[in-house]
Amino acid sequence: MRGLLASVRFALVAAGQNFTRNLAVSLAGVFTMGLIMLLVGGTLLLTHTVDAILAQQETQADEIHIYLQDSLSMRTIADYELRFSHDSRVNGVAFTSKDQAVVAAQQRGLQLQPAINTLGTNPLPASIDLHVRTLGDLSQLNTVAKALPIVDTSSGSATDYSPGVIPRLQSVITVTVWVGSALSVVLAVISLVIIMNTIRTAVYIRRTEIEIMKLVGAGDWFVRWPFILEGVFGGVLAAAIGATAVAVAYRFVLSQANTQAFLGVTFDGRYLTAMVLLLLAFGAVLGGFGSFLGVRRFLHA
Amino acid sequence: MSLAAVMPPQVGQKPDPGMRPVISFHGVSKTYPNGTEAIRDVDLAIYQGDFCFVVGASGSGKTTLVRLLIREEVASTGRIFVDGQETTRMTRRRLPKLRRKFGIVFQDYKLLTKLTVAQNVAFALQVTKPGQRHLKEKVEETLWIVGLEDKLDTFPDELSGGEQQRVAIARALVHRPRIFLADEPTGNLDPDTSWGIVQLLLQINHRGTTVLMATHNREIVDLCRRRVIAIDSGRVVRDEVEGGYLREGEATI
Repeated sequence: MRGLLASVRFALVAAGQNFTRNLAVSLAGVFTMGLIMLLVGGTLLLTHTVDAILAQQETQADEIHIYLQDSLSMRTIADYELRFSHDSRVNGVAFTSKDQAVVAAQQRGLQLQPAINTLGTNPLPASIDLHVRTLGDLSQLNTVAKALPIVDTSSGSATDYSPGVIPRLQSVITVTVWVGSALSVVLAVISLVIIMNTIRTAVYIRRTEIEIMKLVGAGDWFVRWPFILEGVFGGVLAAAIGATAVAVAYRFVLSQANTQAFLGVTFDGRYLTAMVLLLLAFGAVLGGFGSFLGVRRFLHA
Repeated sequence: MSLAAVMPPQVGQKPDPGMRPVISFHGVSKTYPNGTEAIRDVDLAIYQGDFCFVVGASGSGKTTLVRLLIREEVASTGRIFVDGQETTRMTRRRLPKLRRKFGIVFQDYKLLTKLTVAQNVAFALQVTKPGQRHLKEKVEETLWIVGLEDKLDTFPDELSGGEQQRVAIARALVHRPRIFLADEPTGNLDPDTSWGIVQLLLQINHRGTTVLMATHNREIVDLCRRRVIAIDSGRVVRDEVEGGYLREGEATI
């Protein structure tokens, strides 16, 4: 036990000395790896966010909003609601008034008040919202709805039906996942090479010490541990730098996306925490493994 | 404290006929990948308590012999035994244990310049026996043996060549090895200082530690009249119990 504690203490002190004696190279390695971690973390978050947008779109996929003219009476609207409720393709019918449309838009982050103040009236139309039984019926119902005399054509679109959105989003997420995964693998390999070279420099600086350790009979692991700890420390530090940058960027980009593009994507704190922990673990493993490989060649020389 | 208190008990200088050698080479050859044959068909037996000079010109194979002993090099053919264990087929895992049987010094001292004398000596114990009790006392005892008890906190760069070699000897001695290997330990030293180092090695040997010293210092070998193993072009050409640097009557330029 006493020997083990002394070995651990020796390894920790030596790892600290390695890092500080080799400070410029160590920091250069850490910051380069930090940048790579930022890219890996950014890719993960981007994939997750695109996934969230797709999921949100999919929940709205079975719905079609038929925009109504402003001059319609409530009775006319009720007649059409009843007509749609008897259609076998329709699962549910709801009415959204102009005021309710404003509230819904504001919930999605859209600021309408300035427009209302300028125009002096609410520009959003009321709508009859249909939920279909199967997605395949959407196209037919859209055709039927567009031909109705009650629809508002002033905004250029009588309904919000957009047939290509889901497949397009699916192809976007597929490409994002593939590019993200390939990029992460390439970046991980680059990180490994950076760590290996940093450790090789540290090994070179301490070559006399290592030679003496080997000559007096220190085991391979006794020689190896300080370098592995140094690699783990560097990897975790790089991951912490990358993860902090990603977390800050995530909040900023999300708020911009919601106010500028009205995406309505919510901040996912749990995913961000999981990603930070994953990056830290990834940095530690990558750093330790890179060091193991870096010192291996020297030990076997 | 006397030297006898800190060194292993003395054993006989002359081996008994049935005594097992502490080091033995059986038909050992070493050829490097570039084709250079450094050692050729060497047979040797060295016993506990021996003091052997390994002599020969530069490039004759002395250093390769030392490196083969500590398994820094692996023999191309033949078998080497240390303390009854064959080292030629030893796995990497067992090498540290083998090397702890040796104390090794080199011509270039190999001291850590950022550590003090005491820290250099302690380093050997810290890496081989972490957490060892009475570390400070052991280091001080060993530095007393080599005559550097007043240089504990001095840095190697502040010492003379002879003193630096004494620190290296103390570091090699602190874990009480069975065999002491010295590869040209006086190569960088003036004659007086060299003689001081050799006397220290003789003193270590006198208390029972086997000493193998590779050298081309003719004066020292001739003065000591100890066992001499002469190597020429990788072959053992002479092995005398009490020899000189050259064979009796052999002339040199």
